[in-house]
Amino acid sequence: MSDAIALLWLPFCISVALVGIHTALGLHVLRRNIIFVDLALAQIAALGATVAFMLGHAVNSSGSYAYSLLFTLITAMVLASTRAWSGRISQEALIGVIYVVAAAAAFLLVEKAPQGTEHIKQVLTGNILTAGLDELMVVAPVYAVIGAALWFARARLAHQASGVAGWWWDFFFYACFGVVVTSSVALAGVLLVFVFLIVPAAIGLLYADGARSLVIGWAVGVVASVAGLALSYAWDLPTGSTMVCVFGAVLAVAGALRPLLRGRQALARSVTVLRVVITGVLVLSGIWLCALPRADQPLLDVVERVVPEARTLYLTAQERTIHDEAEAYAERYRRQAEQLNAREAASRWQGAALDDNEVRRISSFLKSYNEMRKGEEFVQREVRSRARTRNRWVLGLALVLCGALIVPWPWWRLRGRQHTGDGQERGRTAGLG
Amino acid sequence: MGAALRFLAVLAVALWTAGAAGQQPLRVVATTTDLKSLMEAVGGNRVQVVSLVPPQLDAEDYQPKPQDVARLRDAALLLRVGADYDLWADKLVRQSGRRELARGGERYVDCSFSIALLDVRGTEVGASGGHAHGNGNPHYWLDPANAEIITGTMLEALARVDAPNAKFYEAGRTQFLQRLRDKMRAWDQAVAPAQGKPMIAYHNTWAYFARRFRLNFAATIEPRPGVPPTPSHLAGLKNIIKKQNVMAIVRQPNEPLKHVQFLAGKSGAKVLVLAASVGAVPEAGDYLSLFDYNIGVLAQAFK
Repeated sequence: MSDAIALLWLPFCISVALVGIHTALGLHVLRRNIIFVDLALAQIAALGATVAFMLGHAVNSSGSYAYSLLFTLITAMVLASTRAWSGRISQEALIGVIYVVAAAAAFLLVEKAPQGTEHIKQVLTGNILTAGLDELMVVAPVYAVIGAALWFARARLAHQASGVAGWWWDFFFYACFGVVVTSSVALAGVLLVFVFLIVPAAIGLLYADGARSLVIGWAVGVVASVAGLALSYAWDLPTGSTMVCVFGAVLAVAGALRPLLRGRQALARSVTVLRVVITGVLVLSGIWLCALPRADQPLLDVVERVVPEARTLYLTAQERTIHDEAEAYAERYRRQAEQLNAREAASRWQGAALDDNEVRRISSFLKSYNEMRKGEEFVQREVRSRARTRNRWVLGLALVLCGALIVPWPWWRLRGRQHTGDGQERGRTAGLG
Repeated sequence: MGAALRFLAVLAVALWTAGAAGQQPLRVVATTTDLKSLMEAVGGNRVQVVSLVPPQLDAEDYQPKPQDVARLRDAALLLRVGADYDLWADKLVRQSGRRELARGGERYVDCSFSIALLDVRGTEVGASGGHAHGNGNPHYWLDPANAEIITGTMLEALARVDAPNAKFYEAGRTQFLQRLRDKMRAWDQAVAPAQGKPMIAYHNTWAYFARRFRLNFAATIEPRPGVPPTPSHLAGLKNIIKKQNVMAIVRQPNEPLKHVQFLAGKSGAKVLVLAASVGAVPEAGDYLSLFDYNIGVLAQAFK
């Protein structure tokens, strides 16, 4: 536990700083409907850093930062000038093109450089786990200043005036954005910065307006960051990607919970949708099982993975014994192979050295163990497939029946009721008016 | 003794060269610079070798270029590392349309032939997580003793496609192996202070190198090849560093600096840059100087 805290407190502080500034920016981004602008600016910043790198500036030096900033500010000007660039196509199209062209150009540039592909991977997934205190000390004051500027200019930015003044405010916004993104992408990577920007702000706007949405976004962002970091530690997963997925899940939950707060009708409607979806999954799984019982059965596989006891439903006692034994043997072979590997690895530097023939013998043992393990896994699969084939009509029918029980039945009446319900509602409001 | 031998060898090579003057050199394509260097050692000026992967890039993630197909067009031999290291070569050969360069073809040379592979985990390509390493650890050229087997495979292939010059190639290989053996004695002495001292590497590159020189790579920063470290893995590494008193963290020039610096900063361990391929650092110009450089770095760090 103390290990985890020692390792994760700094990434947590950085996440808080990033959530703080990005939620504020995200609210503007969502209002302006320029969702992918941060990807574009981040990629442009990365392109600037790459150009600096090719010109001989060290990674993370002030020279590389200056190039990033220069590229970003030029792009900010372009974006400010093209708010209504054609009147026919949304600015999002241009933003998308900037993103992919910058990404491809960076690829072309680093082609010949050492660390090239690594550099690009870093830009994408970042390194929030190993970011240092010194980096936080640099970005925190910058974020504070920009955050304050955004707060005082919020009315202007929301208004989106036209003409020269409007251009300056747009430029101001994109420049702030660029400065933030240049540093945050270096810390956390494009993917994580994108969810920091969009998810908390989106949840804030789902549930409230104005300053309250900002506060909700901050709270949600901090909670999701803690959850992501904790999960990444507990389940031994790469941190950045785990956090991105947790933020996605949090958005899904927030979206699903929203009807609860919006009255009975909205709730009933979403329950209906949910029931239809569940019915669909059950019925399709049932049909799929009847049609091709030996193919992958995602629903059954998931259920059996979560609750292995569910197998007793369709395996005979004998099949269960075979299945469990095969499982135990597979695990035993895996362990034995690992032990052999560990012994060989230890012999590289301590004890008597193994000669090539001994190493070859170990390798062939390892291969046999792995083959045997595969054999046992095949047995497990085969036992399940046969039992499924035998029971397919019963199981399939049961699934379809479950679906039928859950389906909002009957359809036409429900639809009719919903119509009249809406009508009544409208009538009532009209009467009130 | 060594000088006299070398003189004789140079003389022999010069005589052979004079005899074969005017012959077109054999065009050989190797996937990596290491194979290129070994092939040049065997083939001398009778071969003209190009390598496909630039030395600083990761050969396991290489994306072939259109030019690479053109390079295969008139290749007399294709040398590859095998052991799932350069899987992209199969696709490239298919694109070139030359059957004899594909697996099993007469101009196809899998240099992992007859090597005793380490870290065998699976039997097929694409084991769980990260890029393969399923068929065994592919970094086998980092054991200089394996060069004897690799050059043997190369010699056999050269004799197959260019039988009249087989004697020349054999002389080239013998001369190279003689130099290699002299060098290995020197390396064994120089590396002694580093033997058994715990180190940590970024990627699981050094299995063969460690086995030959009795080095102790206690852990890798990547939990599985190609997968970035997770928080609990990093915590485990910190413990290993503390418990075993790890003094050095090894990285290749093309590996990310961030995690290495993070661990070094927390523990005070030294960061050593070792080259896993010829040309990865300027000092490692050919196969022998690759080990000169690596052993030199280790000897310096642990003296």
